[in-house]
Amino acid sequence: MLAALVERWLAPILGAGAPLADVPEPLSGCPHLDWAASGAMALTGEPDGAPALAPGPVLPLLAAISTRVETLSAAAGSRVRLDPGLLLGARAAAAGLGRRGAVSAGGATRLLPARDGWCAVSLARPDDLAAVPAIVQGDPGPDPWEGLADAVAASGAAEICERIRLLGVPASVVDAAPTAVPPWRVERLGPTVEAGAWEDALVVDLSALWAGPLCARVLGGAGARVVKVESTRRPDGARDGDPRFYDWLHGGHDSVSLDFSTEAGRADLRRLIRAADVVIEASRPRALAALGVDPHRDLRPGGVWIGITGYGRRHPDRVAFGDDAAAAGGLVARDARGRPLLCADALADPLTGVVAALGALAGRAAGGGLLLDIAMADVAAGFASAPIGCGGAHPIRSEGGDWYLTCTTLRREQRVLPPRAPRPTRAAALGGAHTAAVLAAV
Amino acid sequence: MPVLKAGSRLRSQVDTTEVIVVRAPADDLDLRIGGHPVVDQTQTPVAGLTATGGAEAALVGKRYTRAGDDLEILVTKGGTAGLALGDEPLVLKESKPLPASD
Repeated sequence: MLAALVERWLAPILGAGAPLADVPEPLSGCPHLDWAASGAMALTGEPDGAPALAPGPVLPLLAAISTRVETLSAAAGSRVRLDPGLLLGARAAAAGLGRRGAVSAGGATRLLPARDGWCAVSLARPDDLAAVPAIVQGDPGPDPWEGLADAVAASGAAEICERIRLLGVPASVVDAAPTAVPPWRVERLGPTVEAGAWEDALVVDLSALWAGPLCARVLGGAGARVVKVESTRRPDGARDGDPRFYDWLHGGHDSVSLDFSTEAGRADLRRLIRAADVVIEASRPRALAALGVDPHRDLRPGGVWIGITGYGRRHPDRVAFGDDAAAAGGLVARDARGRPLLCADALADPLTGVVAALGALAGRAAGGGLLLDIAMADVAAGFASAPIGCGGAHPIRSEGGDWYLTCTTLRREQRVLPPRAPRPTRAAALGGAHTAAVLAAV
Repeated sequence: MPVLKAGSRLRSQVDTTEVIVVRAPADDLDLRIGGHPVVDQTQTPVAGLTATGGAEAALVGKRYTRAGDDLEILVTKGGTAGLALGDEPLVLKESKPLPASD
């Protein structure tokens, strides 16, 4: 059933007559037991209470996508085998993060109650914290979150989110009833060419943090040469995070640093993009335009453009991070009283990364010439709204410091396992290590 | 002259530019767009004014400040006119570094 859902997503890219994927390997047969075994459940729920269930079949759908990633990569390059649980828990495990209820594992996002619903707000950057007095129109007090929570509590959710977003701060209304939407809009930028192999294909990754780099990692696994491009003035902030996680995402990728404030740097960027078989970016379209980059003009024939944004290119000013985007798509857990809790660690990030890789693999297989407009909130809504597929009761108990989840339908018990840290095999390149060599070759 | 307070939403009298005050000192400041004082976002501009002043057009989504960095104005709607305090154009702030995680 979930495999059929993935095929429906792929139909606008591959065409309606494309062969169906193999039915994915069954996991336990219960999505909740899979969630418990993945490491993601241990990251969901109140810190001093029981771990909480996800609203949708996150692991089975991720497994269905992984199966398709495997067949598409094997057909045109090296077979990529994904480990869904590792994808979801890698960052939290590397950084030693745990569940914090309505606060994100990373700490930057919180769910706050408004008069008529819930909001997710992220204060991840210095500018976000600095914007709080302007949001609350006064002194928020010593703890900006406290002042912000008061302002949200006194307002309607949609109204206060609009005000918060006006200041460039990521905010979303928690979708209490997410509907099934495809994770991407497919835009044709040029004619198709004969589908190329992944060996020696060039992937230019302009993105940062998690979703875009994960997509690049998967394409690198299929055989592509990945070139990560960073601004000399604004390198990927994840370099300052846990090195195991950064190495795992970026090991084996070339690193190019360009000074986007100079015309020479912007010209080099355009040259690289025009040589790319796949471009991955997670920028506002306006920011790319300011660098003189235009997908319609700069995508080479047969190329695939992966554009990741929070809410799609039709909402170019709405920035998002992984936790607030997940909440916008309704991908939140619920406590016993129905209050939302954040799911896993920035869940929309890894899900979007894998979905973007699926789209890039399918787009190249179909001969390219495409822009995939991928919205993190829509990816989250796709996972939250997919049929859960297990109707049983799922009681949870604790024993000896561990939690155990039971599926009454399968009559099976699963210990809630901790997230697993990645084991990078190669160190990521230092910023700009390959600038001269890469530019000389394009 | 509207008071500049954190959170104040203001508009230009000569073009489509709109801004929000992120941060402002307690002093009275003569914020102008296109050479004319800003008005409250809900107010109707004086008819027939034309843009003057040499400041470059304010870019939507960008933040502007002055020497000393005690003022921060975020452009919420773009236009053709520039931001200034009196005759002194405001300067564009550089983007802040990316966070290590979200």
